[in-house]
Amino acid sequence: MKLYEFQGKELFAQFGIPIPKGSIVRTIDEIRALNTPLVLKSQVLSGGRGKAGGVVLCNDSASLIKEAKRILGSTLKGEKVNALLAEEKLDIIQEYYLSIAIDGEETRKPLIMASIAGGMEIEKVAEEEPHLVLKQPFNPLVGICDYHIRKISNFLDLNSEFKSLQKILRAMDAIRFECDATLVEINPLAKTPAGLVALDSKITLDNDAKSRQGELFEKLLQQQKMINISNNDDMEMDMGSITYVPLDGDIGLISDGAGTGMLAIDLIHDHGGRAADFCEMGGLTSPEVMYKAMEIVFTQAKDELKSLLIVLIGGFNRMDEMAEGIIRYSKDHSSSVPLFIRLCGTMEEKGNQMLKEAGFPVFDDLDEAIKKAVNSARGAR
Amino acid sequence: MAILIDKNTSVLVQGITGRSGGLQTRTLIEYGTRVVAGVTPGKGGMVVHNVPVFNFVDEACLNYKVNAVISFVPPMVAKDAAFEVIDNGIPLLVLTMEGVPQKDVVEILSYASGHNTRVIGPGAAGIIAPGKCKLGAHPARMFKEGHVGVVSKSGALSYEMGKRLTEAGIGQSTVVALGGGPIWGTNQKEIVELFQKDPETSVILLLGEIGGATEIKAAEYIADHVTKPVVSLIVGRHAPSGKSLGHAGAIIVGNKGTAASKMEVLVEAGVHVAQNPREVIETISELLR
Repeated sequence: MKLYEFQGKELFAQFGIPIPKGSIVRTIDEIRALNTPLVLKSQVLSGGRGKAGGVVLCNDSASLIKEAKRILGSTLKGEKVNALLAEEKLDIIQEYYLSIAIDGEETRKPLIMASIAGGMEIEKVAEEEPHLVLKQPFNPLVGICDYHIRKISNFLDLNSEFKSLQKILRAMDAIRFECDATLVEINPLAKTPAGLVALDSKITLDNDAKSRQGELFEKLLQQQKMINISNNDDMEMDMGSITYVPLDGDIGLISDGAGTGMLAIDLIHDHGGRAADFCEMGGLTSPEVMYKAMEIVFTQAKDELKSLLIVLIGGFNRMDEMAEGIIRYSKDHSSSVPLFIRLCGTMEEKGNQMLKEAGFPVFDDLDEAIKKAVNSARGAR
Repeated sequence: MAILIDKNTSVLVQGITGRSGGLQTRTLIEYGTRVVAGVTPGKGGMVVHNVPVFNFVDEACLNYKVNAVISFVPPMVAKDAAFEVIDNGIPLLVLTMEGVPQKDVVEILSYASGHNTRVIGPGAAGIIAPGKCKLGAHPARMFKEGHVGVVSKSGALSYEMGKRLTEAGIGQSTVVALGGGPIWGTNQKEIVELFQKDPETSVILLLGEIGGATEIKAAEYIADHVTKPVVSLIVGRHAPSGKSLGHAGAIIVGNKGTAASKMEVLVEAGVHVAQNPREVIETISELLR
C-alpha cells in the first residue's frame, strides 16, 4: 500500500522526523484562510509532480487562489487531484536523498541509500552517476550501526548535522520495523538554517503484513476515503491471492502459476492470438478461488471473450478442486464462450474425470490447448 | 549425486498436520523421500502418514537425524518456525508459503546466513532429484532421473518444462524452483554454481521471467565460470510493463527487466536462448546427443 505524502509525513512526525509546518486542504475556502508564502503540493501517488506542475510556490494570496483553482480537480499524471498539502516555504541550503528499502536480490537485507543529488529520480542517478549514491545494507537483526551513520554523514558531508541525521535514520528504520514498510524515502531531505527537514515522503507498506497491521491500514484507508482519494491497491487487495491484469486481446486466460501464465501469453501470441488478460490464482488455491477467477475474467473483460484458456499444472494446487470450481461456475452462469482447459498435476486423474463427465474437453499438452483456443477465437471473429 | 538433496536426505516437515502439509507429505513419502518427523506446535504425539509429530524441532532432532526441512506453516508464523530450524543447525530449509511479510523474510535470511542454513524460497515449490528424493510440490510423473539440471523461479514453469523433458525421454539431475520473489533465499546464480560442480549434471536449463536482474547475475556468472552448456527460456516476452504478473518480482519497470534485455545478456554469456519450450527440448536433445 502506497501512502500519500501527507500520510507519510504524519508518520514522520509521529516518529520524530522534522517536517515543514503544513495542512491538508480540499476546497478554495480552506485555502483562502492560509497565509502566504507557501507551497501547494498535489496529493497524488505518482512521482515527478513538480515537473508536471503539481507543486507550486505561491508568494501572494492572488497566486495562491489562482494556482489552487488550477490544480484542485485537475488530472495529474493520470490521477485526479482532490487534496493539496499547503506547507510553509523554507530556506534551503542543500538537498539530499535518503531512503531505506529492501534489497531482495543482492544483499537480501534492508538497504540505506543516500545521495547528495536530492530531489532527483534516484534510480536514474544511481545508473548515470553511481559515485553520487551510497548504498549501505545493514543486518535487520542488529539494526543500523553508528558506523553506518558516520559513513553516510561523511559521504553527504553532513558531519555538522550528525546527531540530527542519526535521529532521522533511526526513525526511518523504526517506521520500517514497526509499520512493516518496504520503502521509507525522503527525497529531498533539506538542510535549512533550522536543521534537517523532510520536504517529501514516500512510504510503501507491505500488503502481506496487513493482518498484523490492521489498525494502521484501516486508519490510512479511512483517511484516503475521507479526502476522496481512491488508492489503486484497493482492488488488488480485494482479490485475495488472484492477480488480474487486463490486456488487449480476446482470449481469456487463467493460470495457477505465474511462470506458466506468462508462458501462455507468449505462446498465444506466437500462435497468432492475443490474450485478454493475465489472471493468476497463486500456488495454493481452492475451488472458490477458481470460481472467483472465472468471474473476474468474464466480468472484467473489455470486449466479449472469444474463448477462455485455463492453464493448470498442479503442485500444491489440487486438480480435483480446480475442476470443482470450473464446473460450479459453469453451472451457475450460462455462457457461449468455449473453454479450453489444460489440466495436469496433483490429483489429475480425478480432476480430469470430473471435467470429462461434465462435458469439457481437457488437454494434457499446453501447445495443443493454446492452438485450439486461438483457432476457436479466430473462427468466431 | 544430485544437488542439495539425495537418497540419504532425512526430512522434517513443519506444519505436517495442516491440510496442504498433510497432502504434500503423503506425496513426498509416496515418492520415496525419507520423511522422518513432523512438527506442529500443540500436536506432539500425533502420527501423520506414519510419521511421528513433535511439538518442537529440537525434540524431533533428539530422536532423528534431520538434514532438511520443508515448511508448510502459515506466512505469519513462518519466521518463528524458520528460526527454530536455523537454531537446530539444519542445513537446508524449503519455505513453501507465500505472503510472508518482507520484514520477516530479511530477518530469516540474515539469521540463516549467520548459521549456515540454506533457505529456498519463500513461496518456493521446492526441489526434486528425480528417482532419489522430492522436497517440494513437483508432480512425480513429470520428472525422471537424468542429467539436465533445471532451475526456475516459478514452480509451475519448472513442472511444465520437466513434463516436456520427461515426455521427450530426457531426464533431470535436480529441478529447483526458487519462488517468485521479491526476495529470494537462494537465487539462480547459486544453483547454477552447484550444477556446474555436480558430476551428474551435464546440461543446465535456466528458466527465467521478466522483472529484476537475477537472470542477468546468473548470466555474468555463467560467462566467467560455467563450462557446461546452459539453455535458457525467459517467459513474459509479451508481458505488459508496470504490472506485477503473479510474482511480486515479475514486473517490468520502464524498460528494465524485459524478457528481451535478459535474453540479450544471456546470449552474450554464451547461453543457448530458446524462444519457446519446443526449442528448449530440441536444443537440449542436440546437446545430449
